Amino acid sequence: MIEKRYLLTDTEVAHFLVQGYHTVESTLPLSVHENIACQLDALPENPGDAILESVPELRQVLDCPAVTGVCHSLMGSDYELKSHRHWHCKQPGDGFMQWHQDSINQRDTRIDRFLALYYPRTVTADMGPTVIVPGTQYRNAPTDRMATYSNFRGQVPLVVPAGTVAVTHHDLWHGTAANRSSARRHMIKFLFRRTRSNTEPTWNHDSESVDSQINWGRTDQMESVAHILSFGNPLGVGGTDQYKERVIRRRCWEQLLGEDE
Amino acid sequence: MSSTAPSSQTVPRQRLLYLHATTPSVFSRILGLTLIEPIPGHRPEITVEDPQWPYDTVHDALIDGWQIVQFPLFQASYDDRDLDVVGYEFILQKMEIVDD
Repeated sequence: MIEKRYLLTDTEVAHFLVQGYHTVESTLPLSVHENIACQLDALPENPGDAILESVPELRQVLDCPAVTGVCHSLMGSDYELKSHRHWHCKQPGDGFMQWHQDSINQRDTRIDRFLALYYPRTVTADMGPTVIVPGTQYRNAPTDRMATYSNFRGQVPLVVPAGTVAVTHHDLWHGTAANRSSARRHMIKFLFRRTRSNTEPTWNHDSESVDSQINWGRTDQMESVAHILSFGNPLGVGGTDQYKERVIRRRCWEQLLGEDE
Repeated sequence: MSSTAPSSQTVPRQRLLYLHATTPSVFSRILGLTLIEPIPGHRPEITVEDPQWPYDTVHDALIDGWQIVQFPLFQASYDDRDLDVVGYEFILQKMEIVDD
């Protein structure tokens, strides 16, 4: 049973639907993360999907309450860890990685697939951090079409402390900056999937405090769920895209509430 | 009579600027910017630091001497419920003498 304090709030879930990501710091001691990083340093080759077998302590990260609380909130109680996972080791001198979505885009109003990006060591700006573009998760854009982009207003480098896990919508656009430091940057990516639709909210939902009314005269009032879903615009896109995003987010929210069917 | 090929240092080269704007209007705000310099080995890259963009709109770039060589394309099929790429892509050029 997950303690309520580890579950997301209504506004955090709404922000996830807008931004496409949520970061959380593991509740494990730093020594656990450093031990994992040292084991990664010692691996003779990338084991691919077998990274959990090669470094079994990674399971502790996935099972720690701070991480399971986010997963439970967004995917329900019986979410599934998929067999695909990957250790991304960015060596000193490695260049940037172009924007992409993993696999093929399955843009839908159901949010069923998630990535968890785990950083066992602190990532500084010069270590080639993952860079994400909040708000791009609903875009049906093949990766090849992203080849003429380099930088966006609103892009976010995941410069994070050791033990951070970033849970992202599967289709969120991401890339990396170049590693200009003398240190390796470790990231292990895990893939999660919802196994069934929600019949009720699976986070710290407070139906009485959720404001479903939109105050059109106060679009800057961003801490109500209705306003976050309606007016959040991390990329600063134009009005037409904002309308579409609003519709998609509302459907996602209703689906998570269990009201979609 | 002999001719001398012009030095690559004296022939203007095409600098390219991809601007991704919120609408097809040149006055709309820019969401994304990619500058491609005609220099060997040059690759625009994702940066961590704020790239300090020189322009807020495509019009700002026109004022600075850039010329549009391709306007946003609308020939693709269109779905008013779907979202695809970010912004409307303008491609601009400046012909300039560039040092390697």
